[in-house]
Amino acid sequence: MSDRPDERNAAMDLVDFWARSWTNDDRLAVRRLLAPDAEIEWNLDAPVDDEELAQTLHRIVVFADSVGLAAQTVVADGATLVYDLAAPFGTARMVEFLAVSGRHITEVRQVYDVTAIDRFFPGLYEQ
Amino acid sequence: MPQPEVHLVGGAGVDAARLAPIATAMREQGLIRPVLLAAGSDPAAATRTFGAFGRTPDVTLPPAADQAEAVRHFDALWGVRTPAAVVVRGDGTGSLAGALAAHWRHVPIMHVEAGRRAGLPGSSTAAEGDRRLLAQVATVHLAATPLTAMNLLDERIAAGDVLLTGSTAVEAAGTLVARWWPSAPRAGRLVVVCAGPDRAEPIGAALGKLAQHYTDLEVLVVPESLPYPERARHLAGAYLVVTDDEDVPEEALAFGVPVLIVGAHAGAAESLYAGSARAAGPVPKRIAMTVAGLLASPVRRDAMTAAGNPYGDGHAATRIAQATAALLGHGQFPDPMPARPAAGVTP
Repeated sequence: MSDRPDERNAAMDLVDFWARSWTNDDRLAVRRLLAPDAEIEWNLDAPVDDEELAQTLHRIVVFADSVGLAAQTVVADGATLVYDLAAPFGTARMVEFLAVSGRHITEVRQVYDVTAIDRFFPGLYEQ
Repeated sequence: MPQPEVHLVGGAGVDAARLAPIATAMREQGLIRPVLLAAGSDPAAATRTFGAFGRTPDVTLPPAADQAEAVRHFDALWGVRTPAAVVVRGDGTGSLAGALAAHWRHVPIMHVEAGRRAGLPGSSTAAEGDRRLLAQVATVHLAATPLTAMNLLDERIAAGDVLLTGSTAVEAAGTLVARWWPSAPRAGRLVVVCAGPDRAEPIGAALGKLAQHYTDLEVLVVPESLPYPERARHLAGAYLVVTDDEDVPEEALAFGVPVLIVGAHAGAAESLYAGSARAAGPVPKRIAMTVAGLLASPVRRDAMTAAGNPYGDGHAATRIAQATAALLGHGQFPDPMPARPAAGVTP
């Protein structure tokens, strides 16, 4: 990640929009923000592509009591976001690494606290 | 061909103390080049601690107010100087930030003292969530004890990625004693209290009353803010340590000093089982009674010392250095630490 102020501001807008979109269950915006050839990866025991990612984020928002942003680091071409996914019986943490280019997100890497996800978000993904 | 550079992230004073022996072992093995980083919210603390081991940080990052800022500092460094691997220790903010920044840059992460957990599997606290997240991004999990290794297996971490190494607290203690405090016998008996501010004062007061019966007794309440080297000096000279801190039992046992653990600590189970630590409820009177028993009977206290240290056998740093080199294609991974403590072995 590089860190030039003007590019960082542009990246920050894009990243903010991404976070607001999926935490508000705006699946259309999520799909538009993702570049057509975006690289997507996560640590859940299931294959992932852009459609599976959008569906999983939708299921999180539907099931969670709230989704909060605990920390975010944005630089010119990427960001690290830490979310707290609060479910009825407990909270799971997720870290999202984004790479941005122009108006699109070109890479999404999500790291879930899988122990808490399995416990508090049962059936979130097909194993 | 230049040796691959491995960055050791000193995010706090105690991290620096545990990483310094690893840097020494890496230099001795001569396969990789250790680079010491002073980072986190107070890089000066890490710098001071590295100094106690005769080392100066190769890179000092600016103080970070929070995790996000720490990630930014690490990323700025690793953008221009990308290491072949990163070594983080424990689960402090600096360690997690370093691990996240390294993961983002696809740099492999060696996690020292991995698998420490405070409570039940799936505990919902943010601190436990961070610990499990760190386990998710780490490449090799270097566990200090069999129980911490089992915690990782419970979280479905692949067994092949977990290596039981022991804690480098033993080597750190040995280095400090040899360097700074060569056998200076104490006239009296020192009981050191390392506890949170709400507990330290009442415990110190209750123990102070014991001085009426034991004239050679000295009670020292160590503030949490005391820099690591000074705290270690007090621990090294103690007859007994009373603590509710997670890191202190490992440090005290590394100096061969038995520990009275106040409150419930899942991480202390192995020392309680070995007998080198005892547990006491958080009631100052009860604590004072237990301490009195150990003052009245030095045999009981010495029996605790003889139970050994379950947190390490003095070879953890060598194993970690060897494992890091192996990850980078130099040699074989080491054998794990034998899982039974060596009774009576002190540095």
